[in-house]
Amino acid sequence: MKTLTKSAIAVVLFSIAVSGARAEWHVEGETGFFYDNNLSNSDRAADQEPDGSWKTDLRLVNTFQLLRDLRLTVAGDLQGQVWSEYNDFNRISPGAETALRYRFGLGHLAPWIMLENRIGYDRFHGTARSGWDESAGFRGGFAISDQIAFEAGYLFENFAVPDNFFDVQSHRLGARVIFDLTSSLQLTVGYDYREGDVIAYAVPPRPEIAAFAVEREEVTTFGTDPLYTGYRFPGRSHIVSVSAVYVLTKHVSVSVGYEYASTSHDPLRYENHLVEAKVAFAF
Amino acid sequence: MNRLAAVIVLALYSVCRQSSAGSLSVAVKDANGGPVSDAVVYAEGGNSGSAKRQAVIDQRDKQFVPYVSAVQVGTSVLFPNKDNIRHHVYSFSAAKKFELPLYAGVPAEPVVFDKVGFVTLGCNIHDWMIAYVAVLPTPYFQVTGGEGRVVLKDLPPGHYKIEVWQPRLKGAPEKLAQNIDLASGGAKELVFTLDLKPDFRAKRAPGLSNGGYP
Repeated sequence: MKTLTKSAIAVVLFSIAVSGARAEWHVEGETGFFYDNNLSNSDRAADQEPDGSWKTDLRLVNTFQLLRDLRLTVAGDLQGQVWSEYNDFNRISPGAETALRYRFGLGHLAPWIMLENRIGYDRFHGTARSGWDESAGFRGGFAISDQIAFEAGYLFENFAVPDNFFDVQSHRLGARVIFDLTSSLQLTVGYDYREGDVIAYAVPPRPEIAAFAVEREEVTTFGTDPLYTGYRFPGRSHIVSVSAVYVLTKHVSVSVGYEYASTSHDPLRYENHLVEAKVAFAF
Repeated sequence: MNRLAAVIVLALYSVCRQSSAGSLSVAVKDANGGPVSDAVVYAEGGNSGSAKRQAVIDQRDKQFVPYVSAVQVGTSVLFPNKDNIRHHVYSFSAAKKFELPLYAGVPAEPVVFDKVGFVTLGCNIHDWMIAYVAVLPTPYFQVTGGEGRVVLKDLPPGHYKIEVWQPRLKGAPEKLAQNIDLASGGAKELVFTLDLKPDFRAKRAPGLSNGGYP
């Protein structure tokens, strides 16, 4: 029955898309530098491993205006990330995305809700980490004024590596406020609450982590002297972010972002400072 | 013979009318003295005649062209879509509420702007597509270009109230109105200094939360 319903929805959406809307393909992407001061998610300064990476995301996107207020966006994408030092985290990820947006009225100031999901396969250099990367959620937003908009949403993330140490799931609630400071400069301030599996790395022995860890595994990701142990356990994260986008042309913009995340499972707590600088483009 | 006489009379009338018409040169500046483009300069009064009652606002490369239009009230405006994708033109301005749902090519019917006021146009598919139409009670108007200057020609002698409107203008145009008396064949010059709001229209750019295709 479930399969039948899914098939019916797929057929209806496909039919509407093919019959009612013309293709409006475009290519968009972003590329830039990404830094994590604590890639090992360690609580002890001695175990913290910082690293920088180059990250690129290319998307081939099509939008279908199904009804006056309903839009379907489909995209194929290719994500890649290459780390300076810890190559196990290097990955390439082809995937597909869909988003269905309903807007309550005309114009960019009207409130909207969106269902969205992505499925991709993350192929890591450290092949044991490779697996299916799925996310699904919903978002909604409205404009408070011409200059200020508000968005909030929920996302379920499933990194599916069955029977594997790196199999993690999480739920994320988030909200952000977007300010158009000038005609070309946009500032976004956000807060996210994430609850779910995390993997923290530490040099053993760490009996206090082992006490609540669901699973642990020795890894060579950060070298062999000393050898780190990865601990998987349920954690809660509070994430605050701020980013700024500057528009150069209608095809190119540049942005910088900063994110602070504090993750804990009593008595463990670790922090991450993430910095990103990138160029976004669309044609 | 009668036809020839009529042509001569019309030609003479035209010459006389031209010779008695005045002109008004208007410079529009911002608070820093810089030229203001896309400002609508219009003259109310005199013996108002009738302007062209048809206008066209194109959609090209996912933009409205022109960005700012001025028309006399009662004008029919056609919205041809010259892109190879569909657009959905709308306005919910008090002076003209309308919607041209998803279409390609040229709509069968133009939209008649039958009420004086300022109309904001949008495209429901491409949020960055915005344009403005000033619907005016007079046939005497021009829109400034990059130099922020226009010349209103062929103004019959008389008393006029000159106003300027721009999409980012703070306050009503009436506050800046200037009155002039234009003599037969006379020429006047005016300067308007506008206090403008920042430009916060939706952007067509990647990386923005409200740009591109959200």
